[in-house]
Amino acid sequence: MALELDPVLALALRGGLALLFAVAAWHKLRDLAAFRAALGGYRLIPERMLGGAVLALVGAELATAAALLSSAHGASAAALLLALYTAAVLANLARGRREIDCGCFGPAARQPLSFGLVARNAALVALALVCALPATPRAFVWVDGLTIAAAIGVGALVHAAVNALLANAPRLRALRGT
Amino acid sequence: MEQALLVSNALLWVAVLALAAVVFALVRQIGVLYERVAPAGALMLAGGPKVGEAAPRFASDDVLGRATTLGGADPEGRSTLLLFVSPTCPVCKTLLPVAKSLAAREARRVRLVFASDGHADAHAAFVHKYALEAWPYVVSTELGLAHQVGKLPHAVLWDSGGIVRAKGLVNSREHLESLFEAMDRGVASIQEFVARSGGSR
Repeated sequence: MALELDPVLALALRGGLALLFAVAAWHKLRDLAAFRAALGGYRLIPERMLGGAVLALVGAELATAAALLSSAHGASAAALLLALYTAAVLANLARGRREIDCGCFGPAARQPLSFGLVARNAALVALALVCALPATPRAFVWVDGLTIAAAIGVGALVHAAVNALLANAPRLRALRGT
Repeated sequence: MEQALLVSNALLWVAVLALAAVVFALVRQIGVLYERVAPAGALMLAGGPKVGEAAPRFASDDVLGRATTLGGADPEGRSTLLLFVSPTCPVCKTLLPVAKSLAAREARRVRLVFASDGHADAHAAFVHKYALEAWPYVVSTELGLAHQVGKLPHAVLWDSGGIVRAKGLVNSREHLESLFEAMDRGVASIQEFVARSGGSR
């Protein structure tokens, strides 16, 4: 039997991931200079190409969000983009540069690099891959609407809480003095 | 039966949503608490000339070839703020505008001097990029060693007589201003201030 998804699960995942990318892109658009600085901090892209890379990444995030809502290829694009970000984080963790800002959700959510961030991204990539599986069509009932909306809401809140915990972790370490 | 399960399911989703919202709010509150309890002043690290000692004398040309002397009494009666920065330190870049505005505001009282070490070429480019030409910018490993600078951005503030009044790791406007506060109040650091007031806040 081929692995197939219930359409409710597929729609909830697609909606949640689209929301994630739309919010990420919105935070970057609100302060492009800060995102440029954060991207420069990764030291993976030459200084003169930073401006283009910033626009390309924000454009890719918006396109991914739109693709997730409209077509089945959005999930693969989301997994690719998340994998790219994770590779950039891993490259800098390997170089021991963990104090730079992740640049994930705007300058207000300042968050240094950590393996927790990699784990968070790995979980998101796994969700995107699940979402890329084909869905079996079935008739919708009204409860499905509630399930999708509530699942997206819970997913967004838990994701925000995980991000806040990741941002808090270095502050706690600083307070403990280790 | 089906009706009962539907009601139960809807109720559970509402409860899960509410709990997720509560968890998120709690995590946010913890973040605010961390911000409040973290030391608000510049963190003083061991090493280098202590508060109350004379700042080491230093004379050399800065990165733009201007003769610069540090230490000893200032002929114009100003204090000196020596700020150690580096083109490769992200926090330094966010602190530069703060230091510049502070120096412009307190120009009569304070003389701002930047210091760093490494290749002079990279520093000259850095000075032009962030428009730091108005202030001396000294590139010297010797100076960093004399002040035992470990982490950047590091600031040392000495009075018109050349006596170190405050120093420490500065990450924000508040930290930088806390150095002046410390000099005006005659307290070596925020840590000493907290200790003096019984550690209660």
